[in-house]
Amino acid sequence: MLNRSVISIAKKEFMDNIRNKWIIILSTLFAVLTIVFSFFGSVFSTGWQDIGGTISSMMSIVNLLVPIIAIILGYSAIVGEIERGSMGSLLALPTTRLEIITGKLIGLGGVLSTSIIIGFGIAGVIIGLNVPDPDILAYLVFIAATILLGLVFLSMAIFFSTLFKKRSSAIGGAIFLWMLFIIIIPLVIQGMLIVDIGVETLLSGEELEAPGWYYTALLVNPGSMYQSIISLSIESLRNIGGIIRMTYPDYYSPLSLSLLLFLWVIVFFMLAYWRFSVKDL
Amino acid sequence: MLTKKIRCPSCSYTKTVSGEPGDTISVTCDICGGKGVFKFPEEAYSAGASGAIEVKHLTKKYNAKTVVDDVSFNVKKGEIFGFLGPNGAGKTTTIKAILGFIRIQSGELKVNGFDVYSEGKKAKACVGYLPERVSFYDNLTAMQNMLFYAEMKKASKEECRSLIEDFGLGEVADRKVSSFSKGMIQRLGMARALIGNPSILILDEPTEGLDARGVFFLRNKIMELKKKGVTIFLSSHILSEVQAVCDRVGIIDHGVLVAQDSVSALSKKLDLKPKLILELESVSEGIIQSLKSVNGVLDYKVFNRTVHVTCKPDVYAKVILAVSNAGGNIVNIQTQIPSLEEIFLRFTK
Repeated sequence: MLNRSVISIAKKEFMDNIRNKWIIILSTLFAVLTIVFSFFGSVFSTGWQDIGGTISSMMSIVNLLVPIIAIILGYSAIVGEIERGSMGSLLALPTTRLEIITGKLIGLGGVLSTSIIIGFGIAGVIIGLNVPDPDILAYLVFIAATILLGLVFLSMAIFFSTLFKKRSSAIGGAIFLWMLFIIIIPLVIQGMLIVDIGVETLLSGEELEAPGWYYTALLVNPGSMYQSIISLSIESLRNIGGIIRMTYPDYYSPLSLSLLLFLWVIVFFMLAYWRFSVKDL
Repeated sequence: MLTKKIRCPSCSYTKTVSGEPGDTISVTCDICGGKGVFKFPEEAYSAGASGAIEVKHLTKKYNAKTVVDDVSFNVKKGEIFGFLGPNGAGKTTTIKAILGFIRIQSGELKVNGFDVYSEGKKAKACVGYLPERVSFYDNLTAMQNMLFYAEMKKASKEECRSLIEDFGLGEVADRKVSSFSKGMIQRLGMARALIGNPSILILDEPTEGLDARGVFFLRNKIMELKKKGVTIFLSSHILSEVQAVCDRVGIIDHGVLVAQDSVSALSKKLDLKPKLILELESVSEGIIQSLKSVNGVLDYKVFNRTVHVTCKPDVYAKVILAVSNAGGNIVNIQTQIPSLEEIFLRFTK
């Protein structure tokens, strides 16, 4: 699978993003955001928050930001080469379409992962030096889950890149998907939850349990799964759901949710490959 | 027998070596005495059972429209095959099918004996391709672009450097491709197509956008490659170019291959004959009678003071003598062999 062609394509994608300074920009963005959120993020205290508090403050912004960055990185992976006219020369080489698409995913995934590791890594070290007993494991879970979330949206963006004939259509489609998963689906699920529980009960102030269907519904949204992985992994974030108490069912575990997120990557990758393999150039 | 230019890694001296595919030879540098071994690639030169490119009953439809209709032809090893047709006739679609870029409705395509669809990697390992629209990664230099493609063809940096220099781009090798002119891009495209010593070269409109010097340079390169035994599949709409270099031609029109053979064989099929064109001071009845009496004159036509005589070249002298003897004062003499243009126009609608 990881043959010369895949490595060459992945290396080129990675080097291109080093040359155009994307990795530096993204790493800096992640580091600065984390440090700012850790230092100024809490309304209840001043100064550095511990790792749990930092992750809690960061989770929502990361859930918005990382998918959109992944989409920007991936939307032109295939359609960009076709529009530029370089895909023909690439396909004329002794390589297959599976190798091309695998190389693209690995290369761009590498760009995203490296930026996340460097950015959050630097911030983690600075926070770790300023708070007592930093929960390093929790922070590593946060980084790993963020990478996984990014890969899901990268895979989606690459699929959209194979679906359209123009880059503008591909980014339009990918942004629609981002809105669907990050804004529309969570809103619909929350709306359904309010209807199910009832507005009066919700406003009564009593502590409520989320219904069983709610946990199943969250599985159709990578962003919710990402938040659940982190909540399940970090004790202090278990009840971050607000007035609705989250009692996660047995099938919810960081490992099962991570595997499910990984399945999202694979599914969109397979869809991208299928679409690319039947595409006339 | 294959010939290959190799460069000494110590002193950069370039030497030409010969050998058979798969041979490993010891090489000593004539300048610095450095020793090394060179292996002639096997796969890139491997011979299939029959032709270099075999296309059988190729049909390609886009939605309901048939753009290539049951096309079959065979490109022999070592020949230059010209692929001609009006715009939109199906030339580029056929090339795309040969390279496996498109799905086809029916047909069988083989390159060096390897099926394009089931053994695509092996088939493409033998091929160098110059697309109609040559494109590179603008953010990379010429050398960086070449190295990217070379890596996938298992070619060396030295080979890239040598190709870039061969195509007169040595001085701009480290410049970004975005600053290149159309001619430079085209030359770099040819250099890229030759990475890994392909035994088959597919050129889609190679002279497109080149100036006269560029066309001359490219034509010489093509002839040089033919001498080295490279099979060349050349698609072009510049008929004089094709006639100048090609051994055989295929003519496609509205998706149908209407002819394929050498230019002389096609001329014969169409009964096209050479012509002698004589411009006279005046044309008299006596001259016409004299012309008719010459053995070997097949036909003649008179246009004002010009007489077009259809006959074999060995009759030209007799015709000129007969016209002079009949009092004709010849002002100008021209000969016209059947051109590819005539053939093309006869075969295409």
